[in-house]
Amino acid sequence: MIEVSNISKQVSTTEGTLNILHEINLSLASGESLAIVGPSGSGKSTLLGILAGLDLPTAGSVSLNGEDITAMDEEGRATVRAGHVGFVFQSFHLLPGLTALENVALPLELQGDKDALKTAAYYLKRVGLEHRTTHYPRQLSGGEQQRVAVARAFACRPTILFADEPTGNLDTGTGEKINDLLFDLNKEEGTTLVLVTHEHNLAARCGQRLVLAAGRQVDQTAPKKKAVVKKTVAKRAAVKKASVKKTVIPKAKVKAKTKAKPKTVAKAKAKPKATPKPKAAPKPTAAPKSKAQGSKR
Amino acid sequence: MQALKMLLRTWRGGQLGLIVWSLVLAVSVVTSVSLLAERIERALTAESSAFLAADLVVRSNKPTPQAWITEAGLQGVETSQMVSFASMVYHQSDMHLASIKAVQSNYPLRGLIKRSTTPFTFDESLIEAVNYGPAPGETWVDARLLPLLNIELGDNIELGDTILKVTQIIVEEPDGGSYSFFGARVLMNWGDVAAAGIVQPGSRVTYKYLMASGADQNAFTGYSDWLKDQLSIHDRLITPDEAQASIASTMDRGRRFLLLAGSIGVVLAGIALALASHHFAAGQTQQVALLKSWGIPASRVRSLYLQQSLWLGVGGSLVGLSVGYGFSELLISIVREWLPIALPNAGIRPWITGMATGLLCLGGFTLPSLWHLPAQPPLAVLRQDIQVAPVSSAIRGAFGIAAVAGLLLWYSNSVYLSLAILAGFALTALATVIIGLAMLRLGKNYGQRLGSIWRLALNNLWRRRSQSLIQMVGFSGAIALLMIMVVVRTSLIDEWRFQLAEDAPNHFLVNVAPYELDGVRDLVNAQNLETAGWYAMVRGRMTAINGQPITEAQKDSHESFRRELNLSWTAELPEGNKITEGQWWGEVDSATTIAPVSLEDEIAEELGLKLGDRITFSVGGLIFESEVVNTRTLNWDNMTPNFYFLFPEGLLEEYPRTSMTSLYIPPKQKLLVNDLLRKYPTVQVIELDKIIDRIRTIVSQVTRGLEIMTLLILSCGVLVMFAAVSLSMSERLQESAILRTLGSSRRLILGIQLVEFSTLGIMAGLLAAIGAEAAVVMLQYFMFDLPFALHPWIWVTGPIAGGVLVGALGVGYSRKAVVQPPLEVLKSL
Repeated sequence: MIEVSNISKQVSTTEGTLNILHEINLSLASGESLAIVGPSGSGKSTLLGILAGLDLPTAGSVSLNGEDITAMDEEGRATVRAGHVGFVFQSFHLLPGLTALENVALPLELQGDKDALKTAAYYLKRVGLEHRTTHYPRQLSGGEQQRVAVARAFACRPTILFADEPTGNLDTGTGEKINDLLFDLNKEEGTTLVLVTHEHNLAARCGQRLVLAAGRQVDQTAPKKKAVVKKTVAKRAAVKKASVKKTVIPKAKVKAKTKAKPKTVAKAKAKPKATPKPKAAPKPTAAPKSKAQGSKR
Repeated sequence: MQALKMLLRTWRGGQLGLIVWSLVLAVSVVTSVSLLAERIERALTAESSAFLAADLVVRSNKPTPQAWITEAGLQGVETSQMVSFASMVYHQSDMHLASIKAVQSNYPLRGLIKRSTTPFTFDESLIEAVNYGPAPGETWVDARLLPLLNIELGDNIELGDTILKVTQIIVEEPDGGSYSFFGARVLMNWGDVAAAGIVQPGSRVTYKYLMASGADQNAFTGYSDWLKDQLSIHDRLITPDEAQASIASTMDRGRRFLLLAGSIGVVLAGIALALASHHFAAGQTQQVALLKSWGIPASRVRSLYLQQSLWLGVGGSLVGLSVGYGFSELLISIVREWLPIALPNAGIRPWITGMATGLLCLGGFTLPSLWHLPAQPPLAVLRQDIQVAPVSSAIRGAFGIAAVAGLLLWYSNSVYLSLAILAGFALTALATVIIGLAMLRLGKNYGQRLGSIWRLALNNLWRRRSQSLIQMVGFSGAIALLMIMVVVRTSLIDEWRFQLAEDAPNHFLVNVAPYELDGVRDLVNAQNLETAGWYAMVRGRMTAINGQPITEAQKDSHESFRRELNLSWTAELPEGNKITEGQWWGEVDSATTIAPVSLEDEIAEELGLKLGDRITFSVGGLIFESEVVNTRTLNWDNMTPNFYFLFPEGLLEEYPRTSMTSLYIPPKQKLLVNDLLRKYPTVQVIELDKIIDRIRTIVSQVTRGLEIMTLLILSCGVLVMFAAVSLSMSERLQESAILRTLGSSRRLILGIQLVEFSTLGIMAGLLAAIGAEAAVVMLQYFMFDLPFALHPWIWVTGPIAGGVLVGALGVGYSRKAVVQPPLEVLKSL
């Protein structure tokens, strides 16, 4: 899914050339999760930007889904981003003039999805914000805003989700809930997850960890379990089927998705093994009322 | 549709407000002004046609050729003929040298004749307006003919060999007020002229051939073009424009002012739009970065923003058009009470102008501000420090100036007006950058010695100096343009009021013989009336030019070659006259044999006379020679005696002379004219009271229109200031919220904002005075033909008004920072 070989990033400053990243290598299979950790200024966000195709390395190459994005022009990378990539940011990046529903729907609308609003409503429900759809970002708490951002990221069905310190602006409790949500959705949707974080708890929940210090890769914990692509794909399809039963989702979406996936539904009931499912996580399809009211201001 | 959806959401989110309002205001100002100007112009043309009693007239001393009438019939052009001459009318032993006018039954083709059966009445209920003249055998006469001939309605008068029955009193003729006839008007039917036997070949008569367009305006234009080729030297074509020069000049100035006001409105709204767009674009960069991180290509982003701009332009312009229409209707409904004329509907041009304004403003101000957005790198979603630089302010400025210049030119059709406004604004902007920067620096240095509020505020202004300068350009530009408008408006209205004072002369008394002068004076004095002073003149005829006797052909070509002219003398160039060629004379030796003569420039051109030509005059049989030494223009607006031919003092005093004056006769004392004419039948009275009343009504209504227009433009000015204030607001609110969090008092925070904004306002006001004074000088000189004057008051009111207005707006805007909890303020930014 993601293959990184020997990437370096240098920038010129008035005081000479600055090495931000130095010969980073990594490999991440589909459905796996990777945490990029390290102190401030170690080059985490730069690496994330390069992996996501938002920036280019000075040397080395990055392949997403087998396509070398470092060899592409900006238009090519944009196409890759549009087809595969989703983002969750530290500062949420919600558009202030749009309601929660419209914020989630916007990228879908831009892709020409006729059922954008329905799909958006479905994902807002999955993050437990079905009662906040008409609220503007300024009327939402920080945690709620990040849940909207998560819904927006997943609504586009990315194959890889990049998260830049997703809980960096949130208190520990709220941050934990966002993390649960992120991993739950990640598991259910079978998305590959790359996140940048300071938090060891969060990093520990990822299958791989890449530790950076001053732009150098100082440690990389090998994946605990080899993720099998076929399995993951099967799992995604199963989850999809399950959610179809439980909630009404746009037909077009279901069709599109199911058509694209192999029909290995039988094995799909198997419990996901990659990450333990946190007990405390709210059920995405039916968020408890007390929680919802608690966050209302 | 996605673009429209995004636009509507942005509008709902409140980020578009300023852009939309600027656009709507620009379009509505231009639309309402254009609608008004066009409707007034059309009304004026219609009104002028009424003054002419036709759309076009040929004046001649020969009867109208039958071929012209036949061709007119083929083209569907309506025609009528008329002949006028002076002749004695009799009733028993009384007689009077009347101005006879014989008209065909379809006279007038345009306008109406007002008539009554009650002499000397001003009661509208007794006055009837009709579109036909007297029937054969009947005559309609001036009221004053009744006492002159001792007759009553229903009596008969004799004219040549015919007898006419007086059936109506003429209150007003559409084409009355002519200077050429001095006796009481006798209006008769064309068919009776032959029976009277007074118009013979060679008689001194004036024929008029009246034409009016039928339904087909093009056929009329075609016919008038054809007719122009048929004219001989005996014929003179008169267009509606020439018919009423004094009203036309008033209306023209009014219209120019409307244009000025509209142009200033456009510039102001343009600045507001530029500021608002800049502000808007700054708020869009993050959104664009986000879109691009989602894989939306730059080309799609550009297309989305272009489409949004187009929707915005079309939508904003449509709203502007309807607001502008509403506004022009409101203006008209306010002045309707004083409206002597019905305003015809406007054509398509004002609507096109309005729409073009909207789209051009958007193209010139908004698009350049948004142009860089698609280049925003997607990485900006992760790193705030990476931001694409906007198109350089020089390029944006150039686009804005090009848009404004294009609009101004298209709109005003006047290079001077466009240049004056642009120059005024450019000078203000330049002065702002140079002087403003110096002032900011001075303020910062001096501020160190002042209290904490002043020190912080003046430091802030210096720290944000580039933003401060942009704001100052906005403020000073707005203040300067508003001042330009107020100054021009004030001087125009003053000038009009002066010209058309309540007691402006409305009657001329001409041809008063020396032995009658005391008697006439006594009569006028007995009524407690004041004259504009008595002017002496001699009546003379031109007999030769450059030694060559006047030919018959010349006599046919111009009235002045065949009749006696009024020659007067003066040492000083009369007030309101301007030399166009040659020099005014100094001292002239009375022994000189060739008298210098000064000619009105239009008559000189019509007679084919130029500087150095010798004219031989015959005055009462005595011959003297003169040389044209200068030509000059006259001022017809001030209703004082004007002379086509002027000589230096000491040359004509020997010849038999008469006197003339102008005076104001109030309506109630109008019968004085009859007393005067009965006692001194040779004195000629020219009545201008009705024309003056009409001009006065139009002026008062135009003035009222201007007042309302001024208010509209003022609102544009406030919008600009609002846009400029909001430019730095989020940064200011953020700082204030932080200060507030650190425990600063409300007094300190509002105090800083007050000092910052009023300082900006005062500086801007001062700079605006410079620009305004420069532009006003240009405008007064080139456009309104007004005397040059400095305006000390703008140097005082500019800074004061600037300080108060900008200070109030700034503090009003900043109040949020002290009434809302700091966290809420920070969150809302």
